[in-house]
This record gives sequence, C-alpha cells and structure tokens, in this order.
Amino acid sequence: MRWAIGVGLVAAMLAFGVGVYEAAGLLRANQHTVHRPSEVSAPSLPGTMYVVQAGAIYRFQHGSFQQITSESGWMQPSTAPDGQLVAVRRQGNYSDLYLLSSSGKTTSQLSHNASTRAVEDNHWAFYPRFSPDGQSLFYDFDPKDAFSSYRIDLAIFVSPMTPGSRAQEFTNPNDYTGGDVQPVPMRDGSLIYTKFSIDDSFQVHSQVWIQRRAGSEGAALTSADAGCGQPAVSPDEKLIAMVCTKGSSQSAELDVASLDTSNLTLGSPATLVSGRMVASPSFSPDGKTIAFLAPDSPGGHFQLWTVGSSGPASVRQITSDLALDSSSAPVWING
Amino acid sequence: MPRTLIVVLGFLLSGLVGLGAYFLPLFQTAATASAVPRGLPNLNPIQPPSQPFTVLLLGSDDDSKFVPDQLNTQSMILLRVDPATKQATMLSIPRDLWVQLPNQGMGKISWAYRSGGPQGAVDAVESTFKVHIDDYVWIGLNGLVKLIDRLGGVNLQVTNPVMDDYYPADLNASEDPYGYYRVAVLPGATHMDGVHALQYVRSRHGDVRGDFARSERQQQLLLAIKAEASHLNLTDLPALASAFNGEIKTSMGLDRLRSLLTIANEFNGPNVHRVVLVPPYTSEGYAGDQSVVFPDWNRILPLVHQSFP
Repeated sequence: MRWAIGVGLVAAMLAFGVGVYEAAGLLRANQHTVHRPSEVSAPSLPGTMYVVQAGAIYRFQHGSFQQITSESGWMQPSTAPDGQLVAVRRQGNYSDLYLLSSSGKTTSQLSHNASTRAVEDNHWAFYPRFSPDGQSLFYDFDPKDAFSSYRIDLAIFVSPMTPGSRAQEFTNPNDYTGGDVQPVPMRDGSLIYTKFSIDDSFQVHSQVWIQRRAGSEGAALTSADAGCGQPAVSPDEKLIAMVCTKGSSQSAELDVASLDTSNLTLGSPATLVSGRMVASPSFSPDGKTIAFLAPDSPGGHFQLWTVGSSGPASVRQITSDLALDSSSAPVWING
Repeated sequence: MPRTLIVVLGFLLSGLVGLGAYFLPLFQTAATASAVPRGLPNLNPIQPPSQPFTVLLLGSDDDSKFVPDQLNTQSMILLRVDPATKQATMLSIPRDLWVQLPNQGMGKISWAYRSGGPQGAVDAVESTFKVHIDDYVWIGLNGLVKLIDRLGGVNLQVTNPVMDDYYPADLNASEDPYGYYRVAVLPGATHMDGVHALQYVRSRHGDVRGDFARSERQQQLLLAIKAEASHLNLTDLPALASAFNGEIKTSMGLDRLRSLLTIANEFNGPNVHRVVLVPPYTSEGYAGDQSVVFPDWNRILPLVHQSFP
C-alpha cells in the first residue's frame, strides 16, 4: 500500500512539473491564430464577395467561405465579362494574368511574363481591372528601362480584348518611385489610379490621380500631403473611397469623397475609419457599403470589415482569425 | 524530516524543474554566447527604467559571402529613449558615411564593425557624433528574419512600390550567395513575415533615394517590431532566445531587456522622432574609387545634439 502511495505521489509530482512547464507556456503573449476562411463562418453579407488568403481565392456567400483555387500565388481578383474573374498568379520572379470562371477554373492565360534567360528578363503584372464596358483590360506592368536595369517602375497599361490588338502604356510613372498602381477604369474612358512622387527632401507622396486618355497629362485629385491611394469608385461613379496616411507610417484613414469626373475634382473627404492600418476598400453593388481590410489588433492579420459609405457609425467586423491578403481588394458583386 | 515536508519539497522541486526546462533556452543562450541576453533571468518584478539611455542598433549582412568576424554594418541606428518624457529619437547613420575612424584614418563608418566588432562601431559613432552610447544590439540577416517570425510577423505601411531586380539570394546557405531574385513589395498596409520584411528594408536599387530609402524603411520596421514586442512578457523570451542562436549580440542584460518591454507600449508613432541624414546634412560623392556619403558636421552635430546630449 505504501509503495503504491509513493508511486502515486511521484507520478503526481512529475505531472505537477509538466503542468508548471505548460502553464508557463500559457502565459506567453497571445499569438494570432489563423484559420483558413473555409474553416470559419461569418455574418452574412448581401451578394457575393471574393477575397484572397495565402495565395488562394475564396468566394464568400451567405456567411460562409468556399475555396475556389488552390494556394498557388493567386491574388488581386477582379470582375471580368461573362461573370468571370480576372486575377493575378504570382510565382517567384514573375506574375501573370488569368481569366477564371466564377468557380475558380482557369479559362485562359492572358499574359506570359516568365523568362528562362535571366532573372531580370521576367516581368510583373498586377492589379487587373476591366473597363466598365468589358472591352479593355487595365493592369500594372513593368516595362524595362533601356538605360538603367535598376529602374523598375510599374506603369499602367491598357490592352483591348479584341484579337490582334496591342497593349498601350496608359500612364507615365515618375522615375525610381516604384511607379503608378491600382487602376480604376471609368465609363468615359478615363482612369483613376495611385501615383507616387519623391520630393527634393526625399519625402514620398502618394496621390490619387486621374487621366483622360493614354499618354495624356493627368491631374491630381488629392494633395501630396494627404498621402492618399488605393482608390475605389462607387458603381454610380459619384463617390470615391481611398486610404490616406497623412504622413503616418503606422496607421491610415479610410476616406470617402464625392467625385466630379467632368471637372476633375473631389468634394471634401469624410473620414469613415481612422487609427487603423486600413487597406483595399471596395464598394458594395448598391454603393451604400464599403468593404475594407484591416487588422483587428495591432500587429494582427488583416480581416474583412464593412462600413456605411455615408458615415463611420456603422463599422462592422466581418471576420476574425483570418489572414487576408491586404493587397487584394474584396470583389463585391450581386448574386 | 516529516513526510509531509518531503512531499511538499518534492512538488516544489518538480515545479522548479518544470520552470527550469521552460527557461532552458535562456540559460543556454546566456551560457554559450557573446550573444546575450547575459546572466540568468531574474523572475522578480522589475522596475521600468527612469533614466534616458542611448542604444546603437547594428545590422549586418552575415551570409556566406562574408568572413564571420569581418562584417560591415549595413544598418546603424542610434536610438535615444527618455522614459520620463516618453520621447524617443531614432537617427539613421548612412552606412557609407565618410568619417575619421578611431586609430584607422578615414573610412566608411560601416567598416568600424569589421575591424573592432560592436565596440569598434560604438567607438566610431561616439567619436564622430560626439555622443555617449550605453548599449548596443547587433543582429544578422537570419536573426532579423527569425525575430520577426517569432513575433508572428509585423504590420507595415508600404509607402510606395519597392521594386528590385537584383535582390541578393543569400539567406539560404545552400544557395549561391551571389545569386539574386526579383522583389516587388506592393504599396499599402500589409502583414509581412520575416523574409518579406527583410526584403522591404534591404532593397534599394529601384528607389531614387537609394540607401536613404532603406534607412527610412528600417526605422519603420523597428517601430513595427516594437509594436509587436510590446505584447511580450518574460515567458516569451525562451522561444525568442532559442530562435536567435548567435544571430544577435547585445551588451544589454536580460533585466534591461525586460525593463524595456515594460515601457515599450508608451512609445508610439507621434512621440518617436525619426531622423535620416538626407541632403543637405550629407552629400554623395567619391573618395578615391569609393562611392561615399560626405557629412556636413556643421549641420549634423547641432541636429544630433538636440536629441542626443
């Protein structure tokens, strides 16, 4: 009997030691838990949304996510004619544009940017966006500089979808700034996008820019000090949402303003969200709500949020425990 | 000895062994390295620092292209923290700054580490910038990657696209250290793991500001790491210590590190002053066949002494 009690006590002591070890581990700061979107549910939103995590595209409908591509470098989906999606597939030293069915099946490869000759002969393609009439595809591309192999500035190109037509460089980026990004084609053929400049005191400025035609001069819609970018335009083209850093390197605002494309002006911006690392706004099909991505805690992964386009009182967190790709704006469509 | 006492002591001993096993990586780090944290951890509550102090933060490319004991510093940031006023200043020192190195003659300030190790870098900065440095922290490429990964990644606001067709492929020892690959870091707020954060702060080819752009981004990364580290407590240190494995060296003891963690939350963006010695404080040029950055000490020293007495 004594022998059994002794063994029991020793076992209890060992268990206590293991317990102390485990308890010390439990005191560690909370690590951000990440789930696949398809493993979680979320509040239902009207319509259908596409988001990206870990190189896979997910469809969000009726409060649940369905993975429609493999985790293989997919990013930045956008709507395409005939209910399709256009998206980027990034692999190592290059990225290409693809058309996908709404269920994620590849229907065609639109670009061929890989090179086996030399690393620097590869090309990037990012941010594909079809024109509202579906006739042209705008996207970012990195043309090579014949005089400096170090200069890699993204420019926005437009490629008509008619067979045999050639892509045209639509914007002229400022040298050694990284280039022009995030095209938003408008119904009248003009283009809204983000342009960067670097001043004499080496300060970087990000501005929302509008350009009427390929190669035309263009005009800034926002001031250099506001640090705005990532434009999204409402379906009726009367509102623009954008992310403005106002000089901060640790947070940003989600601003919305009225848009007058005929006079190339914005109304006074209203701040919908502030004090967060806001990214990639996108309007709902009715224009009344804006989806955006932001962490729910400092240093956390990016989650899906919504806010009413008319005021900040309705900020709503849709997901937690995901790690959404913040450079891929949610695609929000009817149906 | 009463049996009850033996049983109590048994449980106590067992608990201490469990605790010791948990903190074993810290003990090992303390015992094996000039890589610190030095000394055994003090588990008692610790007082936050009250006096201002200055730390020199050093970063080196330490891949297989380089002789381990003869590294240059690619990054030098002087950090002044004043706990009383809750103000901090980060001053980035250009790696190519052409200065009088102690006992060596003229040279790039990044060479000081190669000849004198961390103390050589401290001596060079103290003598040229006329400041007093209390401590240093040095970190290698893989150390930075591991640190960020152990923190669970960092969130960064990428100001403009960072494009580089000649980014060194030197993190993995099995690869050609002279190889390269393409980097495209897209603008906007993003969550980065260690490898991508390193790309962001190390790339310089595609930016008109060259090394100055890197300095800006390195300061930004430090703030992001600080934001992550402010959530840490003593029980997070063993995992961090086991990750470094010689990739970090510091003159700071564990108690100082712990006390810094206690005040990390008090230093946010608005009260962290960031200084990069862009023109007119410096000018680019050549010294012999070396591409260097010339200091204008008449401008630099008054600026530095506003924050670094």
